[in-house]
Amino acid sequence: MRIVVDRELCQGHGVCVGEAPEVFRVAERRGDYAQVELLVDEPPERLRAAVEAAVRYCPNRALRIVEAPATPARSGGSAPASGTESGPAPRAR
Amino acid sequence: MSASATAMDPRRPWPVVSGAKPGSGHYDEFLVHPARFLLRAWRECGELAEFDLGGLRHLLMVGPRAQEAVFRAPDDQLSPSPPYRFMVPVFGEGIQFGAPLEVERQQVKMQSSALRLDRMKGYAQVIAREVEDWVAGWDDEGEKDFYDELKELVLRTSTHCLMGSEFRARLTEEFGALYHDLEVAVSPASIVDPYAQSEIFARRDRSRARLAEIIGAVVQERRREGGQHPDMLQAFMEAEYLDGRKLSEHEIVGMVIWIMFAGFHTSSNTATWTSVELARNPACVPEIVREVDSVYAPGGELGFAALRELPMLERFLFETLRLHPPLVTLMRRVLRDFAWRDVVVPEGDTIVVSPYVAHRLPELYPDPERFDPTRRYPDDVFAFIPFGGGRRKCVGNAFAILQVKSILTALLSRYEFELVDPPESYRDVMPSLILRTSEPCRLRYRRRRR
Repeated sequence: MRIVVDRELCQGHGVCVGEAPEVFRVAERRGDYAQVELLVDEPPERLRAAVEAAVRYCPNRALRIVEAPATPARSGGSAPASGTESGPAPRAR
Repeated sequence: MSASATAMDPRRPWPVVSGAKPGSGHYDEFLVHPARFLLRAWRECGELAEFDLGGLRHLLMVGPRAQEAVFRAPDDQLSPSPPYRFMVPVFGEGIQFGAPLEVERQQVKMQSSALRLDRMKGYAQVIAREVEDWVAGWDDEGEKDFYDELKELVLRTSTHCLMGSEFRARLTEEFGALYHDLEVAVSPASIVDPYAQSEIFARRDRSRARLAEIIGAVVQERRREGGQHPDMLQAFMEAEYLDGRKLSEHEIVGMVIWIMFAGFHTSSNTATWTSVELARNPACVPEIVREVDSVYAPGGELGFAALRELPMLERFLFETLRLHPPLVTLMRRVLRDFAWRDVVVPEGDTIVVSPYVAHRLPELYPDPERFDPTRRYPDDVFAFIPFGGGRRKCVGNAFAILQVKSILTALLSRYEFELVDPPESYRDVMPSLILRTSEPCRLRYRRRRR
């Protein structure tokens, strides 16, 4: 399972942190709104229920789960994962 | 001034709403009932409908994709600041849209971190207790005006949660009356000129100054006495801008007026409408009451987690917000040409997104005027927008839902409600820009036999 964050919807309420603190944190960002950050790209299955609750209770519906095919394991680093993306955004030009 | 429906401007290849008057445009009709006017505009023109408020060109954009495009646009392209300048004399200079964008953004962040759910865990219980204190004055049965009752109840619960128990204990009738003066001044007339000579605006300014005295006194007292307070006022007193500067007393007062303003009448009107719909749709009630009884009994504990176990009440509340969204116009000034599909909305126009219209699209909500909490909602974040959307979505939305659910849980655990007047006599009215129930808004209450 992989988590996708729609950054144009996230306001950093932190509900996801309450549900799954192993997966999410709210990062203060200089000059901008606070926003969610993923601590792991692909959370382990044992956290599925917590991640699903985070998705369900997000007040802005900024999170979704995509079922990704298994990817090679990363070498263990502690830096927050950066592999997030915006959802499909049919933008005005 | 305003284009007639026949002379189409090639830069603006969309229809103009009929009925514009020379000079004032559609202002008079808008003034009577903005929601009804916008619904007519959409019915007549479709997803793009131009109208004119006293020389200011507005474009209503309807539909989930149009709404999404507006909500995702950056602040420097579509800005809420110019259209909402009528809030500046309410919140104060240097606050929100009375401040530069980078300051306003930091202030919004302070608002949202003060409203973070981890701070709110104890609020459900505070609210339930306030409801119990309030209904202690009710009889076993009787009639009440629910607009008045819920306004008072929301004022008490909001001030308690947001400004602490000592402020709540000293809450007087004066405070509510002062807020009322601010609400009345946020009118269609203020969209045109919020500084015009008028008794309503003069009273707004006097009431704002008096509120500043009342709130400022609490701030000074806390500064003198220190201590920890788990509420928003304290969060504002401790908040810092990026350069390390703390909010001034003037700014703290403005932030409090802002958060209370954003969450007072919007929530009280929603709680009122939810009560009316409960009385008007008695077939829905038994299931909701069973749900409420499974998580709460009068005098018991009401926890944050328990409120999540109320899906029927939540759907009922959402259906109320669908038909009666308290804010019916969300506005953005076009600062840079805004391309949408095959048109370009030119710089200087004002774009309007309307939850009231968006929630009545028959292809998304069949038979849209029918109140039906069991209806299927479209799986589209931008189709149901009572709190707006995108990064400028109402930061209090989770608190608002928590508050209204808590109030109704506590009320339904004790009482059942009935309409006093004919069902169709309870209508949406808009004496200000906030949609509310018509008056009188009488309901009969009766203590439940358990």
